[in-house]
Amino acid sequence: MSLFLLYVLATLDGAFCGYRAAAGRSALIEKRRYYRRALLRGATLVQGAVGLSAILLACLFAVSSKRDDLVHDFQAASERMLAVYLPYAAIVLVALAIRTLPSVDFRSATSVFVLGPMTALRPFVAIAGVAYGILPAHRLPTRLAGIMVLALMFVVQVSLDRIAAREADLSLPAGLTG
Amino acid sequence: MSSDRSEISDLIVNFDPDSLARLPVDQTAVVEHFHKMGNARAARVVAQMPARNGALDPDAVDRLLVKVHREMQRLAEEFHHGRRLRELLVPIVQALRKNGIGQPIRMVDIGCGTGYAVRWLAMHGALGEDVELIGADYNTALIQEAERLAALEHLRCRFVTANVFRMSQPAHIYFTTGVVHHFRGEALTHFFAEHNRPGTHAFLHFDFQPTPFAPLASWFFHVLRMRTALARHDGVVSVMRAYSGEELAETARRSAPGFLCGIFGGRIWNTPLPRVFHTLVGIRPELRDDFLCGLGRRMPRMGALT
Repeated sequence: MSLFLLYVLATLDGAFCGYRAAAGRSALIEKRRYYRRALLRGATLVQGAVGLSAILLACLFAVSSKRDDLVHDFQAASERMLAVYLPYAAIVLVALAIRTLPSVDFRSATSVFVLGPMTALRPFVAIAGVAYGILPAHRLPTRLAGIMVLALMFVVQVSLDRIAAREADLSLPAGLTG
Repeated sequence: MSSDRSEISDLIVNFDPDSLARLPVDQTAVVEHFHKMGNARAARVVAQMPARNGALDPDAVDRLLVKVHREMQRLAEEFHHGRRLRELLVPIVQALRKNGIGQPIRMVDIGCGTGYAVRWLAMHGALGEDVELIGADYNTALIQEAERLAALEHLRCRFVTANVFRMSQPAHIYFTTGVVHHFRGEALTHFFAEHNRPGTHAFLHFDFQPTPFAPLASWFFHVLRMRTALARHDGVVSVMRAYSGEELAETARRSAPGFLCGIFGGRIWNTPLPRVFHTLVGIRPELRDDFLCGLGRRMPRMGALT
């Protein structure tokens, strides 16, 4: 269950990374399709990262002599990671829910007081979650897997940003594409 | 930092005030200006910009400005600027109609950049068929981009490279967003005085509200949301150069005596909490009551119109 929850959170995080990478790079007014694509791209790219992590986990599991112990260690680490990530995700999702209210002041307040600061905190929360998850772990494979997951989270973010930047440059009007 | 600190975007473009022709900008002179002001960061940003024969490459500058305007639009979207603009424009338009003014009612966004406000109003404003939306800017590249974007979304608005106060037909309503702080000293007086002409009936100028926390908050949001060094720098300097509501209203009253002027939306829900933007409202005395009535439940946000 905890691994599944981590997977859901990773997919959500990837989707939001896709959104952030696309934001501020299109000057159209109607951008629902544009942002839908960005969300989808982020969520899709995360599946690649999840796939790589799954392969790593499978390899570690295959070469492990104490498989039950490793599973237990993974399980405990993922539960600790959730203790950090779930409250963060809950705050962001509540703020997004408030943005559905028909008040420009409420919506703006969520940006100022929640979504902005939470975006700034994201890298630290990502590191804190993995650190809290793997530091008490007693098996090296668990720690390696945690570090790889963390690295992949940042690789996904950087990749999405590069893709969005390239697309934005291509969308510049003719004559301004330098 | 002083309120006279320059913005990079003000110095990397130059136009002939009469013909609006683009004039070359000496890169070294701009870099030295920033060094003299003790602003090494801005000097570095300008020094890194491409140049040809000592002058900043105008294409590179335009490319950068288009990117910066995309980033600025993102903040405008996040803070629902279009809706804020609409909530003031609708009662003004209704007051004009009620008094038989316009047909069509012409509203001009001064210094529109890539035209976000005008394009948003064209798509979502629902201001009516009798409203003509025009965006004006000195920078042809930004105007061409605004036109291109409007065409892509089939929007009913137009954009002109022009000094709006020299256009053949004056606007009934002028508005700006984040522009008035660029006018310093006498230039601000002159800018408001230009509104004081017979065909003009109202103006709205949205700008940052200077508060003790504004520079820090602006720095945080610009670092977080903006990607270009120019946008990060100018966004913070803009807040530091912003005028207080009293300064804006007093200057407007003095320079455009044919209008009643006041500040709208300085505080959030009548609490001491300041809004990021406040709005200088100017309106002809004969339209005052209809305008206030049209504000409806938002009327308490309107300061004294005198």
